[in-house]
Formats: sequence, C-alpha cells, structure tokens
Amino acid sequence: MKAYINDTAHSIIKGETILDFVRRVENREAIPTMCQDDRLDNFGSCRVCSVEVAKEKNGSTKTLASCHTPVTEGLYIYHNTDKIKRLRKNIVELVLTDYPTDKLVAPENKAPTEFQKTIAQIGIPTIRYPKGDNHLTIEPDRAHPYIKSDLSQCINCYRCVRACEEIQGEMILNMSGRGFATRIIKGFDTTFDESACVSCGACVQTCPTEALTDKFETKTLIPDKTVQTTCTYCGVGCQLEVAVIDRKIRGIQAPKTAEVNEGHTCLKGRFAFQFYNHPDRLREPMIKKNGTFEVVTWEEAYDFVAKKLLYIKNKYGANAIGGFSSSRATNEENYLMQKMIRVAIGTNNIDGCARVCHAPTAFGMQQSFGTGAATNSIEDLKEADAIFLFGANPLKGHPVTGAKLKQAFMKGVTSIVVDPVKTTLAKLATHFLQIRPGTNVAILNMMAYYIITENLVKQDFIDTYTEMYDDFKNHVLALDMDALSELTGVAKTLVKNAAIAYANANRAMEFHGLGVTEHFQGSKTVMLLSNIAMMTGNVGRKGVGLNPLRGQNNVQGAADMGVQPHQGAGYLDVNDPEIQHYYAKKYRINKMPEKEGLKIPDMLNAAIEGKLKALYIMGEDTIMTDPNTNHSIKAFENLELIVVQELFMTATSKMADVILPASSYFEKNGTFTNGERRVQRVNKVIEPIGNTKPDGQIIIDMMHKLGYTQPTGLTYDAAKIIEEIADVIPFMKGLTWERLGTNGLQWPINADGTDTKTLHVNGAFKKGKGTFHHFDFEESPEIVEHGTNYPFILTTGRELEHYNSGTMTRRTDNQYLLAKDYLEVHPKDAKRKGVTNDDMVKIFSDRGSVTIPVKISKNVKKGVLRTTFHQPEVFINIITGSVGDKETLTPEYKVVAVDFEKI
Amino acid sequence: MANKNIRSLSYRKELDDNLFENITALSKKKVSSKEFHNLAKRFMIDDSVVIGTASFYDFLRPENQEKKVHVCNGTACMVAGTQDQLTEKLSTLVDADKIGHVPCLGHCHKNNAFLYNNHTYSAHSIEALEKIISDTPALENTYYIGSSSTPILTSKIENITEFYTLFESYIKHPEKVIEQLKQSNLRGRGGAGFPFYFKLDAVLKENETQKYIVCNADEGDPGAYSDMYLMEHQAHKVLFGMLIAGKTVGANTGVLYIRGEYPNSIRKIKQAIKQLEDLNLLQHFRFKIIRGQGAYVCGEETALLNSIEGLRPEVRVRPPYPAQYGLFGKPTVLSNVETFANIHWILKHGGAAYAALGNGKSTGTKMVSLDSYFNRPGMYEIEMGTPLKSVIEEYGKGFKSEIKALQIGGPLGGIVPIHKVKDLTLDFESFTNHGFLLGHASIVSIPNHFPIIKFIEHLLEFTADESCGKCYPCRIGSHRGYEMLKKAQNESYKIDRQLFNDLIETLELGSLCALGGGVPLPIKNALQYFEDELKEYFK
Ligand SMILES: Cc1cc2nc3c(=O)[nH]c(=O)nc-3n(C[C@H](O)[C@H](O)[C@H](O)COP(=O)(O)O)c2cc1C
Ligand code: SF4
Ligand code: SF4
Ligand code: SF4
Ligand code: FES
Repeated sequence: MKAYINDTAHSIIKGETILDFVRRVENREAIPTMCQDDRLDNFGSCRVCSVEVAKEKNGSTKTLASCHTPVTEGLYIYHNTDKIKRLRKNIVELVLTDYPTDKLVAPENKAPTEFQKTIAQIGIPTIRYPKGDNHLTIEPDRAHPYIKSDLSQCINCYRCVRACEEIQGEMILNMSGRGFATRIIKGFDTTFDESACVSCGACVQTCPTEALTDKFETKTLIPDKTVQTTCTYCGVGCQLEVAVIDRKIRGIQAPKTAEVNEGHTCLKGRFAFQFYNHPDRLREPMIKKNGTFEVVTWEEAYDFVAKKLLYIKNKYGANAIGGFSSSRATNEENYLMQKMIRVAIGTNNIDGCARVCHAPTAFGMQQSFGTGAATNSIEDLKEADAIFLFGANPLKGHPVTGAKLKQAFMKGVTSIVVDPVKTTLAKLATHFLQIRPGTNVAILNMMAYYIITENLVKQDFIDTYTEMYDDFKNHVLALDMDALSELTGVAKTLVKNAAIAYANANRAMEFHGLGVTEHFQGSKTVMLLSNIAMMTGNVGRKGVGLNPLRGQNNVQGAADMGVQPHQGAGYLDVNDPEIQHYYAKKYRINKMPEKEGLKIPDMLNAAIEGKLKALYIMGEDTIMTDPNTNHSIKAFENLELIVVQELFMTATSKMADVILPASSYFEKNGTFTNGERRVQRVNKVIEPIGNTKPDGQIIIDMMHKLGYTQPTGLTYDAAKIIEEIADVIPFMKGLTWERLGTNGLQWPINADGTDTKTLHVNGAFKKGKGTFHHFDFEESPEIVEHGTNYPFILTTGRELEHYNSGTMTRRTDNQYLLAKDYLEVHPKDAKRKGVTNDDMVKIFSDRGSVTIPVKISKNVKKGVLRTTFHQPEVFINIITGSVGDKETLTPEYKVVAVDFEKI
Repeated sequence: MANKNIRSLSYRKELDDNLFENITALSKKKVSSKEFHNLAKRFMIDDSVVIGTASFYDFLRPENQEKKVHVCNGTACMVAGTQDQLTEKLSTLVDADKIGHVPCLGHCHKNNAFLYNNHTYSAHSIEALEKIISDTPALENTYYIGSSSTPILTSKIENITEFYTLFESYIKHPEKVIEQLKQSNLRGRGGAGFPFYFKLDAVLKENETQKYIVCNADEGDPGAYSDMYLMEHQAHKVLFGMLIAGKTVGANTGVLYIRGEYPNSIRKIKQAIKQLEDLNLLQHFRFKIIRGQGAYVCGEETALLNSIEGLRPEVRVRPPYPAQYGLFGKPTVLSNVETFANIHWILKHGGAAYAALGNGKSTGTKMVSLDSYFNRPGMYEIEMGTPLKSVIEEYGKGFKSEIKALQIGGPLGGIVPIHKVKDLTLDFESFTNHGFLLGHASIVSIPNHFPIIKFIEHLLEFTADESCGKCYPCRIGSHRGYEMLKKAQNESYKIDRQLFNDLIETLELGSLCALGGGVPLPIKNALQYFEDELKEYFK
C-alpha cells in the first residue's frame, strides 16, 4: 500500500494518520503541530497540521487536518503548498492576538518552548488585527509547591486537560465556558494546590508554552547535560531524564522513549530530588566517641571497622556478625554487600529490607512456580480482560502503574479488588471484596471453592502442567463457606461473582502488594494466589500471571543478588555443598560458610540473646521501619558494633558506632531491577556530594581491609561488577552494561542478550510442574492474644507523597504537600470514641503507644483503623508487633491489635 | 478520541441516572459547590468535569440563573426588528436584569418571540404580555401548514395503532428496511445530505451488543422550525422512524435530543411516547428525551453525543464516525428529526415511489419554513426540485415588503440575492452548484432597509457566541471577525480587506466543524453580491 507525498510514492502503515506518515517519511518538523502529543489521543484543535489532499495527481484538493485523518491507499498529500503555509501563518496570527508579545521568543538564558519553536518554524507574522478581547490579565497561580500556571500564555491546546485524563487518569483540568471565553480551570475553578491534583506534572511536561511550569522551570532549562537514570522511589522503575547545570540537578523530565513510563512519572520521580544536596546529608565519615559523633577520615573509619569486625569474628566466630542490605541500593552494591558478608566475613547472616515486605512473594512463588518474580510485564495490561488486585494501593505506592490500572478500571475492564481499605481503585472496580484484615487465606479459599463448584477450572491445564491439584480441591471443597463468609466479613455472593469474573476471563492478570505479604499467613496467601491462577490457566501467556507490586525500587534485584540468608546470588541454596563449591569457585576463595544464616528478626533476637555482636547496615533505617521499635532498640543496644552506611542521620544512624556517608543514586552508576524483572541502568548524574562514596565503593574498600580483594579492581565500576554477576547468576548470563541500553533487559537474559517478557510460557514451569498447596485460615496470634484487650485492627499503608519512612521525601517540597500521618477512623467508631477530624488520639497496643491526629473516613470498615508511617513524629512502629509470616518472618504490619482514646 | 475515561464512567450510569441531566438539575437549583462535588464523587470524576460542562450552556451558567424571560435574538426576529420593542415592554413587567436572550424559538413566522416559564410566546401588545406574564397560558404556536403534490410529512395520521402495524412486515427483516431506504435515496435532512441507509448499514455491521439510535432534534438554525413542527404535529412519524431504525440495527434505545427552547416539542414527544406505552406498541424499545440547555453547537452530531454524556459538547474528530463510536462510544445511528420522519412513508409505499419524487439525487420532499416577511408565512412541505420562485410566490404568496436577499439554510446557509432566486430549484445540487446551501431549508428574508454589514456582523457574532471553542480558527477567528465588523460600524476604523479575506479563508479551510467552516459561505455571498453596500467599511 502506497500514498504520495508531494507526488513521490511511499509505503503506508495500516492505521497511521497522514501526520504519522509524513513525519515518518520525512521528519518531525515536516508538519508543525501545537495540540498534538504522541502520547495523547489526537484532538484536532490547533489545525496547523493541515495539509492539502487529493485523490489523484494534481487533482482538486481538500484541506484536512493531518493529525486525525488516516492515510489511505493512493492518497496524494501536499503538505507545504502556498495555501497551507498561508493557512498556518494565519492561524498563528490569530493565536498571537491573545498571547503576550514578550513571550514570542525565548530570552537568552532559557531554551525556547515547543510553541516558540513551532511559531518560529511557521514564521512569526505581524499582527494585523486591531486590539480586541484577550486573556492576558489572568492572574498566575503560584500556590502549589511545584506546579504553577500563568494562563495568560495559554494557547488552549487542551494538552494539559488530556494529559491529566489520558496519562495520569485524573480529571483535575478542564476548559470552562465556550467560544473565545474558554479558559483552563483546575478542579472547582481553584488553584492547583486546592484541587485534587496529584502533582504528577504530566500537564506541565506536555504544555507547549509556559502557561504551565514547574518550580524548577524544567522545560526551558539549558542544561550542561542531561542524564537518563532510573527512579529510586518504587518498583515501577521509571526512567528519568535529569538536567544538570553547574554540577547541580536542576530538573527532571520523563523521556517519551522509555518503555516503562512512556514519558510519565509521579511527583516523587519528577520533583522530589531536592534531598540530594539537603544540608542534612551526611558528608563525612564519623565515629561515635563517648556518645558523640566525631568526624574522621575514611582511612580511620575503615580501620576502625575492620579491626573491630575482625576482633569480633575471632572472638565469637563469623556468625556473630550480620549484615542488612538495602533494596534502595543498586544490584551491584547488593551483590557486593552479600559477598562481603559471605566471603570477607564468612557468614550467611545477610538479609535485606525485602524481609519486611516481599519475602513471602519470593518464597511463595518459588514454591508454586519455581521462580519468585513477576510472571508477566506491565505492558500486558493492554491485553488483560480481567484485573485482579489484591492488597495493594498502586495509586499511592506505584503511581505510574497505578495510573495505568486506574485507566483500565475506568474504561470498564472487569476488575476485582480485595482489600480491607476502600481505595480509589476499589471504588472503581467491578467487584470489591472488603475483607477484615488478616483473612486473605480465607477469602482465597472461598474464591477457589466457587471456581470449582461453578465448573470453571481449566482441567487440561491442571492435568498437563501442575501437580497436587486434587489435594487442594478436596481441601477446599470440605470448607464451610458460611463460616468463611462470616470470618472475612464478605457476603458469599460477592465472592462467588468475583471468582466467576476472574475465572471467566480469557486473560486474567493478578497484581498484589504488601497487603498480601505483610501478614501472618503471607507466604500462604501468595501460594493460594498462585493456585487460583493455575487452576484457571492464567499462567504462562501474555496478559495473565502473578505480578507482585514491589515495595521499594530494587526489592527484586536485592533478592536476585542473594540478599537472603538461605539463598545466594541467583537463588541458589547455600546449604547445598555443591552450590557452596560453585560460589567458592566463582568468588575465588576456598570455602563458603556452610549453613544458612539468620533472617533480620532472628538476628535481632540473637542480639538480644547476646549471640550476635555486630551489625553492618547499608542504607536501612531499621529502627524506624521494623516493627516493635522498642524491641529493635533493645537489640541494638546489646551490640558491640553497629556500622551504618547512610545518606541521613536516621534513627538507626543515631545508634551507630560508625557512620559511613554514602552517595545517593544520582551520584553513582549501577542497575535497579523493577517489579517486572527489568534490569535498568542507574547512571551517574553528578559527582558524589561532600566526602561521600557510593555504597559499592565503600564495600569494596571494606572488603579490602578485611582481606578480600574484589577481582574487578579496587574502584567500584558497575560495568565490571555486572560482568561478574552475569558469570555467577545463571539467569543473567547475557547481561552486560552495554546491552542494557536505555530500556534495560528483563531476566532471564540469555547468553545472546535476548530477554524474557513472560515466564513459564506454555506451562513450562521453572520447577517442572506447578505445585498446588493448600492451607486453612489461621487467625493471627496478634488477634488471638491481644484481640480482646485491643479490639481494633490497625492496618498500615503509604501515601503518594512519601516514600516509606520519608527520609528522602520529607527533605523535599513533598513535605508541604503532606506533612502528617493520620489515623483513618470509621465515622461510627469516631462517634463512639468522641473524636472528630484532627483530634489527637493516643493509640496503643501491647507494645506501647503513640499519638496521632484523626481523619474520619468511610474507606475503612467499622473496627478497622488505617495509618501511614512516613513521619518520625508518630513512629508508628512503636506499637506494631512481632508476629510475622511463618515461613519468612516478614512482619505483620497490616494487622495490629490496638485501641485508641482521645487525649 | 479524547475523554474515553470520563465517557465510560458516565456510561456506567448511562441514561437513567444521566450525568448531563444531573448537572442540569444542580445548575438550575443554584446549590452549593458541595453538591456539585458530591455529584462528581458519585460519578467518580473530578469537579472540573462537572463545572466545565455546566459553564458551557446558556441555561446552566450561574450568571443566567436569575433570568426569567428570554427574548429571541435570532436572525428572523432581528430582521423583523421586534426585539427591542419587546424587551422594552417586557421590562415594564419584569426586572430588566431578569430578561435574557435565546437564539430562536421557532416563532419566526410571527416574531416578537420569548420564552417564559417553560412556554414560548409571540406577543407585542402590552395587554397580551401582561396576561402571559401573570397567567402563563398554554398557547399553541400556530402557523399555516401547506404542502405540494404528495404530502409525506404533513399528512395526517388517522389511527396510531394502524400506523404502527407496518412494523410487523419489517421487524424481522433488517435487510428489507435497508434495501427500501437505499432505493429511496433518502438523504439526511439535518444539512449535510448524507445517504441515510448507509448509517443503518454501518451500524448493523458493528459487532456490539449496545447500540443507540439518536434523533437530532436540536434544530438550532434561527429561522428554522420544521423539526419543531414534526415533533409537535407528527410525533409518531419521528418515533416510528427511530423504532424501526433501532430494530433494524439491533439497538433498543432511542434518544431524542430536543433543544430546551422547544418546551412544547418536549411535551408533545413525551405524550406520544406515553401513547405508545399505553397502546403497548413500544416493542421493548426504550425512548429517552434529553433536553438541550442552550448551545447551538449541540446540533453538530458529535457535540450532541458529548452533550448527552455530560461532557463538554465540543466537536469530536472524525473518524471514528458515530456509526462506529457514537453515544458512550457505542455504534450509533444519529439523524435528523425530518430524516426519521420520512421512513414510515418509504416503507409503506416503497423506496422507488419515494425516489420518483424530486429530481434525481434529491428525492422526496423537504420541509421549508418561511418567516414573517412572507404574505403567508408558515411550514411547507415541498417536493424536491420545485423552483424556489414558486415556493416564494405560490406557497409563500410573495413578500410583505421589499426584500433584497434571502438567507436560506440557517446561519451557515448562503445569502441568496433576490435576483438569483429564479436560478434555483429546491434541492441539494441546485443550491450547491450556485454557491449556496440548501441546509435545513429555512428561509429568512432580509428587507431592503436592513444593512448587510449588520447582517454579517450578526452571523459572526452568532458564530463567536456559539463556537464550542475547541478549534483555533473558529474560537479566535469568529470573535476577531465580529470585533472588526463592529468596530468598522462604530469608529473610523476600516477593515483591511486582505486580512478579512485571510480570516474567511482560515475559517473555511481550518475549522474542525461546519460552524467555523460554514460561516464563510454567507459572508462570501454578501461580499460578492453586496459589494456596493459593504465597500465603505473596508480599506
Ligand atoms: C454547527 C452545526 C449545527 C448543526 N445543527 C443541526 C441541527 O440542529 N439539527 C440537525 O439535524 N443537524 C444539525 N447539524 C448537522 C449534524 O451534524 C448532522 O450532520 C445531522 O444531524 C445528521 O443527520 P442527517 O443525516 O439526518 O442530516 C449541525 C451541524 C453543525 C456543524
Ligand atoms: S499535575 Fe498531574 S494530576 Fe495534577 S493537574 Fe497536572 S496532570 Fe493532572
Ligand atoms: S495550559 Fe498549556 S497545555 Fe493547557 S491548554 Fe494552555 S497551552 Fe495547552
Ligand atoms: S468550528 Fe467552531 S464549533 Fe466547530 S469545532 Fe471549531 S470551534 Fe468548535
Ligand atoms: S495537530 Fe492537528 S489540529 Fe493540532
């Protein structure tokens, strides 16, 4: 199929518009546009994309807007005729009658806006119209900490309105009025700040003028350089384009070519970077002497730590030492950290913050499928016809994926949400099962029951690719649905309908979050989710599977790299002598430690018991984020040595003997692995701040002091570490720094560099056959033991504006957007307790109490409370308990027996 | 296609708990912003969607909520010159600031038109006005009704049940319906003249369970009242057309979008639907009336669909066409009242019989509305191809005063100078070939004394007022054009002719829809035929 551009024939692609076609054949500038953005549906408002079109050569032409006219076979397109040039110029002239005359070209210190470039290209006409009505006196809106508007520069292209709806899935912006009087409004015609804007910045990025800008004026910067890197704030793994001037970070945009985020980010990725050179950054190594920190040289610090560690190792054995690694650090650094603990110190006491979030996912999915990672890719959302969201609030925790889910939900895809909290997505969903916190196993057993009794199982899939189904089936069929319904607090018909919806879909895609894992029965829940997927044949194809929404940015990577006491890099069992031999060879040492190490909670207990003497912590605020703070503090107080690599003086840093100041992710190279197993580059944007060093460098130096020389050399070089990782981890064979390019690779990465979007394809489970497990619901000991004295169930979650304990985000303007943690209380409970909005209450559990302001909300059921854990003032973990997932010890943050009273 | 998310959220509550009707109800109740917010929450949309929509419509804007009387400022009342006196007299009866405007109430045959308490009136004596304001009587809008050879639309329905029996022979045979309509060569009467069977065929082929029939009863052209006539006097012809179209394509819902300026049409259609219900003739088909809230552009088909959905009635890009992506994104047959009204006759007498009327490409008859400058103003059903001269002389009985031109086919129709009348026959081709437009075939007479400059100023003002504001040429261009024409009459300012021509060309070539794209036609006619009158305003 061909069409003609200025009488020359070119092949056309089905479905493309004339604009796509001409731009593809010639270049982007071939046809100017104002209202068009590749990421948005075509709109046709500016009309400067008009072209002349004829059915035959030199035939009579029609003028059509190319952006929304499909190109058809044999069409003759003339995009640069005098008539068209005149039309464009005349449109620009009209636009300029209502546009500030001093904004036609960029001032010297600013890059031109897209609009300024476009009008320069078309030619800036002299305005012949007499002065008339205009919008030049609209007041600017500067109330929001990041996003500003000056609508006198607005050209009514609607791109912001559409970006808000089509990219972010919000509808904060709209036009008001009609005809010439139309103008952009926010919310109820208010300011950005007052509106329900989620500050994603999509509108700012697309706005072709400076009608919408951000605090950093990112669009019009003239950077010395821009560097693409991977966001540190969650497991989505957005690509960021960071602009640098004078060795300072000046602004961040989302690259349109990024497969993960396609030109979008949330407010954390885009705006929350100011922490990097915040005065609070730790800039010098310090040793605590007589209770106060004193600045020392790196040499002194290293020597001090090495000496002390060796002393402890000699005196108590290597197992008296433990290491906490961080899911915020790069793969290379996590790899080095576990290597240091295992190789240079000689113990498997290495664990990471995945312990407090997704360890049950890794464990459970390994039991069921053989691989503890997302089976599918986010892009599969486009193909799924049912979405099953369990215990996750991605609009807050994984905003860019959340925005995609929200759009799918709004467009009416069959959607099932299981959550104790009525989240926005729950409100939009087709089926919402609002369970009592902690009854996940019960609700999944119910779903399985109805899938079986409604005859919706895919028996041939089960027979061919899985094992142990009959045991599961018999177990489930023996359960009493009335009892489970009572227990979960969800009516049977609701569960049944949801089960039918899931099972009936051609492609049902599951997502889950910490609402699944942070429970007493966390791993079991993951295995039951796997069961539900297997029994309906929803594994091993596009648009299906189990897709954990990873808490931190590199939870997947840290586990891949061996930050677990029982599995080394690549998930190989450290108890297996053959594996020990394998690692010893790879690490070029004689002997690996022989038995598996302790998990974080066990290490803390061991410290209390006096068996663990030293902790080496990289980038974790254990005190603030682990449950039962008083217990953690007690453990820490019992240690002889605490070493902390950190950016800030956190609660944990304060307890350290030695602080090694680390560089932020802007200051180093490496890789992060996102929730869909995609290894992506972290590129150094600026040199390390102050006297800090990248974690990877610190570990290499430390190992050297401890007597192990990293074979890749004494300088931390991510590319070289990657070579070593590729050599050690079987499923990363083909990984190289070069091959990662700008969009990364999804593991398994084959030797030839090809990667993998979907796991277990066609029933080929990693572990051979997929395995069904079965479980009964068991009440959490937290409820059994404390439920009577503490009748409310507290569950915790995150807000969009902050990242976990907020060490980074609180040190940005995000803090102005959300400065407090709140306790969400159902109106009836509030009434009973005599509290109302903003009242301070004391909330107490068996462990202790904290005070917190109240927010009345119907999003929680009666008897359930919800809060966040971002602000140190509240320190919610003082009241959380020590119950954890049986298999992985992941703490049960989501069920805490509490009571509260007004103070 | 923009707004897919909002559209599908609105679809969740669809027509029974319709977003647009909800917005309408709140806007008229003058409630606090909290209630708008709750509505938005209920639909899971943001406040901006709700107030963005409300701000679009004349009847919903906050500043218009105080208005009690709306005086017509449409073209026919303007040339008739009744508006100022009427307003003056009314202001002795109601507060002047409670008097608003509407463009056209379908009283173009009598003028002195106004809307009061959901009734439309024509009155000029102070006694009559006083009585209306105090009693709000239900007065019929009466006018002469005539027809040429074969009355299709104006014939009387003697027995409703019998009228609907025709249904039986077609209900199971979509292909037969489409075949007859194809043979008839029935073309859309809303202005564009698109073959009707084609839409049915396209929607029939769509593989969707939810489909819609939408009747465009937003007759906004000032000077036109034929759809009003059909709704008020021939409602069953319209409803039958929608019903059979629905059964043909597999749609069980028919929406009539009736402009709010026609309260009596709404009442009459409601009664007719009720009759069908009572007579058990509905065939499980659901009729829904949506009341327009004062925006001419809602007559444009895609704006109309957005309007029903509660979105801002901005014009959508095409493709996709309504047949593929119509109301709530579902396949939709959208046509004009008069188009639907023709179907019964065609199916009863056969497509061939219909095609035998008219001249070749324009078949059947056309409703023509004549304004009060005719000696016998009113509503005429005229066979296509009839000489325009005989419409004026035989049917309209000539003019009351000296007329220099006619605007035919609404505000976007051509300005036909009186000497060109003899060249035209009443059909799509004749008008187009001579540089005019049949459109919806309303005829408004421009008397000799009425300055053409004022007339085209009015057209640009109307376009600027009614522009949806989406596309640049129309949003800015129509307003600038209006400003220049106004300025040229009040000040020493003279319009740069090159600039004006550029503006007209930009509107014509660049506009997204036929509002901005159509207004250049009458202006070009005026510039061509009334150069003498206009030249003093240009340099
Ligand atoms: C500004 C504008 C106003 C319109 N107003 C009407 C109208 O009031 N009634 C109508 O039937 N069509 C109107 N149309 C035409 C419709 O877009 C559409 O073509 C028509 O309703 C299709 O029905 P038909 O095929 O039966 O003519 C208008 C078009 C434009 C551009
Ligand atoms: S920042 Fe995001 S949510 Fe806020 S108005 Fe812009 S696009 Fe919408
Ligand atoms: S604010 Fe910017 S993006 Fe929005 S309509 Fe105006 S110019 Fe376009
Ligand atoms: S021509 Fe006018 S009414 Fe039509 S789309 Fe453009 S702005 Fe809207
Ligand atoms: S790019 Fe086509 S109308 Fe704006």
